[in-house]
Amino acid sequence: MKTITKANMMDAIAILAQDAQVLVPMTVDGISKFSLWGSEGTLAFSAVNTLLPPKDSLFPQTEKMYSYQVENQTITSLDIHNEAKQQIIFGIRPCDMQSIQCMDDVFLTKTFVDDFYRVKREKLITVCIGCNKTAPTCFCESMGGSPAGHGAADIQLCDLGNSYSIVAQTAAGQAVVEKWQGLVRDEEGSVPEVSCTLKVDAQGLPAQLSKMFNHPIWQEVSRKCIGCGTCTYLCPTCYCFDIDVQNNGNEGYRFRCWDSCMFSDYARMAGGHDPRPSKNERIRNRFLHKLEYFNERYGKNLCVGCGRCLTKCPVHVDITLFIDKVKEVSSIESVQL
Amino acid sequence: MSQCNCDNPLVPELVQVSHIIEETSDIKTFYVSTMEGKKPFTPQPGQLGMVSLLNIGEGMFSITAQGENHLEFAIKKCGMLTDALHEIKTGQMIGVRGPYGNGFPIEKCLGKDMLFIGGGIGLAPVRSLIKYCFEHRDDFGSIDIVYGARSMADLCFKEDLFEQWPQEHNTKVHVTVDSGDENCPCNIGFVPAFLERINPEPQDKMVVLCGPPVMIKFCLQVLKKMGFTDDQVITTLEMRMKCGVGKCGRCNIGSKFVCLDGPVFTMAELNGLPNEF
Ligand SMILES: Cc1cc2nc3c(=O)[nH]c(=O)nc-3n(C[C@H](O)[C@H](O)[C@H](O)COP(=O)(O)OP(=O)(O)OC[C@H]3O[C@@H](n4cnc5c(N)ncnc54)[C@H](O)[C@@H]3O)c2cc1C
Ligand code: SF4
Ligand code: SF4
Ligand code: FES
Repeated sequence: MKTITKANMMDAIAILAQDAQVLVPMTVDGISKFSLWGSEGTLAFSAVNTLLPPKDSLFPQTEKMYSYQVENQTITSLDIHNEAKQQIIFGIRPCDMQSIQCMDDVFLTKTFVDDFYRVKREKLITVCIGCNKTAPTCFCESMGGSPAGHGAADIQLCDLGNSYSIVAQTAAGQAVVEKWQGLVRDEEGSVPEVSCTLKVDAQGLPAQLSKMFNHPIWQEVSRKCIGCGTCTYLCPTCYCFDIDVQNNGNEGYRFRCWDSCMFSDYARMAGGHDPRPSKNERIRNRFLHKLEYFNERYGKNLCVGCGRCLTKCPVHVDITLFIDKVKEVSSIESVQL
Repeated sequence: MSQCNCDNPLVPELVQVSHIIEETSDIKTFYVSTMEGKKPFTPQPGQLGMVSLLNIGEGMFSITAQGENHLEFAIKKCGMLTDALHEIKTGQMIGVRGPYGNGFPIEKCLGKDMLFIGGGIGLAPVRSLIKYCFEHRDDFGSIDIVYGARSMADLCFKEDLFEQWPQEHNTKVHVTVDSGDENCPCNIGFVPAFLERINPEPQDKMVVLCGPPVMIKFCLQVLKKMGFTDDQVITTLEMRMKCGVGKCGRCNIGSKFVCLDGPVFTMAELNGLPNEF
């Protein structure tokens, strides 16, 4: 197999950084996230997934869409901001790679293509590192993934101890590997087997959940939720956004920014009508979106099993415990039927 | 002036308001044309447009009618954007993007008698299909239009209701107001009770029903009693919207997005969705 030593890997990244923005996992001010290669912080290649997912690089937390100038009755200019630089996410984990697949479905399919996303996505190269250890909160396997790697990454790496194995999975990935001539060598070796310790049974969930819209389970799971939105902000697949305006006098810009279905004014309409007036309906929508609706629309789960929301929810609302509970309920209820 | 790149579905086209009609004290109809005086795009009946004042906000509105060179939006004043829209004058440049949504299922209505039921601003979406039926009069059977508002002063599209539509072939217009005095030229009473009196036959008929939720609820009960099935009743939904193109996640009902898969649904389709509207 083709491999590269860990020391050479740093040189390999430096080569890529000559003509692209390379984002690597780093700990900055105590927070692990993807940061520009060479910026301040400590490299965090050996950790499992970062606390902040890399979704920001395709779908920024706030994104200027267009600027305008207005003069009395006339709009004198309208400039769209959608240029993108070549980006490489180096060290993305398989769960986050799967989350990009989910975002591709949303932004690039179903009648309309989101141009702001498309320009960034077309200039993105992904280098995925398989996980050879998993955190106690990782459950990607149960959601249809694998800690070992992801087939959609341009390049798949695996940590062999002192080196990484390299597999280019796309033409773009092949072109990157060619830039590493002299750094890559052929070596015997085998990729270690890994498995998640946290497991849930997600088989048949969409069908089960489709019968549970009015079930008392929602009262129970939402009881503790304080509507802080942490779960949705840290989630690599949550893509809901708001559109708003920053106006100063005669000019300004319209931007989009992440929003959260857990916030109380998310669905409230003019005149005050709100189809999801309490946290009960809001949590229901979040879990059903992840585990039922997205499956119905795009044929996959909108949860990739990264474990971030269970780690950081201040009151320990846990999607894996929720799935367990759904299974329990449906097995009891099918016995009763 | 730089023109927008309209390949980008989130960026509006810059257009002008060419004519404004004051329908009621809080509803105005805006005619919208391109800067060259053309129609910005050609929507199907029941489709939507996102209208914006760039420095204030965007809102989704039914395209209530279209002409050779313009689109029409009937807009009720009820918040930040709509208050500001009510202040503008003819000639104002605004943004518009669309057309969005599925529109009315015209093929299901061909050859059928049509019963239109509207309440308040709810006539706005229905009107686009009524106009379509008149433009393709031979494709439809009899047409009944039942419309209600709080008072005479709150009736929208008065010229259509009292002058244009009653002239059309094989067409009856039934107007009611919640309250009025003895000089009132129409019925006095709520729409559902009025509908019960009109007592339409369900055979070979499609119903298009839009209005405030209470009106819809009671009209549905009346229709059911008369023997209409859920397949025969078409309605439009409203959810809060931001993108209009099925991306922002805002307007879902179950796995459907109202901006893309709606806003038009038959009652039979709605019965298959979570009851969250
Ligand atoms: C499919 C559809 C068709 C519509 N057709 C019409 C029409 O023909 N005529 C008409 O007068 N109104 C119509 N509306 C309602 C109209 O979109 C809202 O009244 C308007 O957006 C309110 O904006 P505002 O800024 O004045 O109110 P605010 O309360 O200040 O709005 C704040 C924010 O909430 C959003 N919002 C508030 N209420 C609604 C709502 N009911 N629906 C969607 N978004 C909302 C706005 O986009 C805005 O971003 C329609 C709504 C939908 C979804
Ligand atoms: S729902 Fe939680 S576990 Fe699933 S992808 Fe989102 S943050 Fe990760
Ligand atoms: S992180 Fe927990 S408390 Fe906060 S909104 Fe999500 S479920 Fe509710
Ligand atoms: S308005 Fe954005 S998804 Fe419907």
